[in-house]
Amino acid sequence: MDFKILLCGDSAVSVVMGDSISLDVNRLVLRLQKSLEERPVKGVIEMIPSYASLMIQYDPMELSYEKLCEEIQAHTEDMPEIEEQDALVKEVPICYEGELGPDLEECARLQGCSTEEVIRMHASHLYYVYMLGFAPGHPYSARFEEPFKFKRRPEPRLKIPGRSVVVQQNLSDLIPFDQPCGWNIIGTTPLNITDFSRENSFLVSAGEWVKYIPVSRAEYDTIRSDVEAGTYQVKSYRKEDAES
Amino acid sequence: MITVKNPGMQTTVQDRGRIGYQKYGISPAGPMDARSFTLANILVGNTHNEAGLEAAFTGPTLLFEEDNVIAVTGGDLQPKLNGQNFPMYRAVSVKKGDRLSFKGMNGHGCRAYIAFAGGLDVPVVMGSRSTLIKNQIGGLEGRSLKTGDRIGFLKPVSSYPDMDQRVIWPERFGAKTITLRVLPGPQDFEFTRDDQLEFYWFDAEITNDFDRMGARLNIRHPLKGLHDGNIISDGIAFGSIQVPTNGQPIIMMADRQGIGGYAKIGTVITPDLPLLAQAMPGDRIHFIKMDIRTSQNVYRRAVSELMDLNQELNGVREYI
Repeated sequence: MDFKILLCGDSAVSVVMGDSISLDVNRLVLRLQKSLEERPVKGVIEMIPSYASLMIQYDPMELSYEKLCEEIQAHTEDMPEIEEQDALVKEVPICYEGELGPDLEECARLQGCSTEEVIRMHASHLYYVYMLGFAPGHPYSARFEEPFKFKRRPEPRLKIPGRSVVVQQNLSDLIPFDQPCGWNIIGTTPLNITDFSRENSFLVSAGEWVKYIPVSRAEYDTIRSDVEAGTYQVKSYRKEDAES
Repeated sequence: MITVKNPGMQTTVQDRGRIGYQKYGISPAGPMDARSFTLANILVGNTHNEAGLEAAFTGPTLLFEEDNVIAVTGGDLQPKLNGQNFPMYRAVSVKKGDRLSFKGMNGHGCRAYIAFAGGLDVPVVMGSRSTLIKNQIGGLEGRSLKTGDRIGFLKPVSSYPDMDQRVIWPERFGAKTITLRVLPGPQDFEFTRDDQLEFYWFDAEITNDFDRMGARLNIRHPLKGLHDGNIISDGIAFGSIQVPTNGQPIIMMADRQGIGGYAKIGTVITPDLPLLAQAMPGDRIHFIKMDIRTSQNVYRRAVSELMDLNQELNGVREYI
């Protein structure tokens, strides 16, 4: 296993599993994380997976840097598999209509196609969640087919609403809370992406897949009221079942 | 129970921070100056990560509705009890009706820590009572204190038999130039040789852009970097010195985001972070390089000192 350990101060390291943003490299990161979760090393406090590396925060009172490096070496030699077909797919309803998809027409103009075609490109592929970050429960996710031609907007907006779905190239992020953002808003989901009143506060986790389900404004409103009433069940299934 | 008569500029409930949620995008929060926070807790007999207050710049005015033992450590915001000077770095019994106030900074640090025996009674959110203001999580409704807030004590005590033993030599902050020891990495190789020489040779100045998330610095020769400064986003530690495209470093602090896409030239060692937490805009920083082995020895020594004090005062040799 080819990996690098970078120093992040006296009590953290970053284990770099590759030098690209790709499914294969990210899988290695998550496999190492899984390995360290299943066979914990005393002194490891917290792990933060990102695209290509796993940050490990540890307590030097219990674990020296040298010992940690040995442990990482041992773990990388025997990491649990993550079966692709077992990965979870979460269905995320999205409404592209009117003020819920304020930049849909701009996306179509930039792409040089109809709005229907933009929606088809956006909704017909699965999105892989590489990691969460920036805001609580904010997924960094990407599809692997048919990237859009356009990138960010020339000027970021100072505030976009929570539950916006924003896009550029092959990326599509779910915005949990109001925040500044420079991407185009293609639609809005009726689901709460992060909801601290839920037992599982976060809609998606690293390594899962998102499937957007286009819904009409009327369906959006119905789902939204179910979400607010706490009766909505997010649909999720194994990736294998999605493909069959 | 305390009632907040005046919240001060930014007073938040903090324990040692929220651990295990950075992978969901939730910053750990916790005290900016973890050492002063821990010293205050040890002085009042707290041994289980009890929550206290971090008071920045001006300090609050608090009315005690019941007796408890408290201690104030960290930056000198000139605490007063009922208008009389209140000794820092020692446990003091306060009585119902007493009023703790602060005159404000006098050039010797900017963040005071107030520990209460038994700790403050606010809800535990994701394993912690720490306030994360930017996401309105934890503490008191996820925000700084405001006038009229009331916070209960979990297990107050009116006094300890050894009150006069519960005193330590005060830390003294306020040097206009601080020295921070830095472990190079994780992306020091993204910087030129000149960048590295200048970074460790010339002082940096702390700008006004200094809050719980991080401290933006101003250096004479912005770091050029070998590439455009962007890396594949990766994890950020407390003390990470990340360098955005403009070449001016930012030291990431308690409310940092967990992941970022700028190259990081080095990381300030944990035992030196309190010096930065207590520094002010306009103060200067001199960075010196340190290796991993030495820095871990320094870390262990700093923590052992706290554990020894905890053993001596509370009979528990534990790192809290």
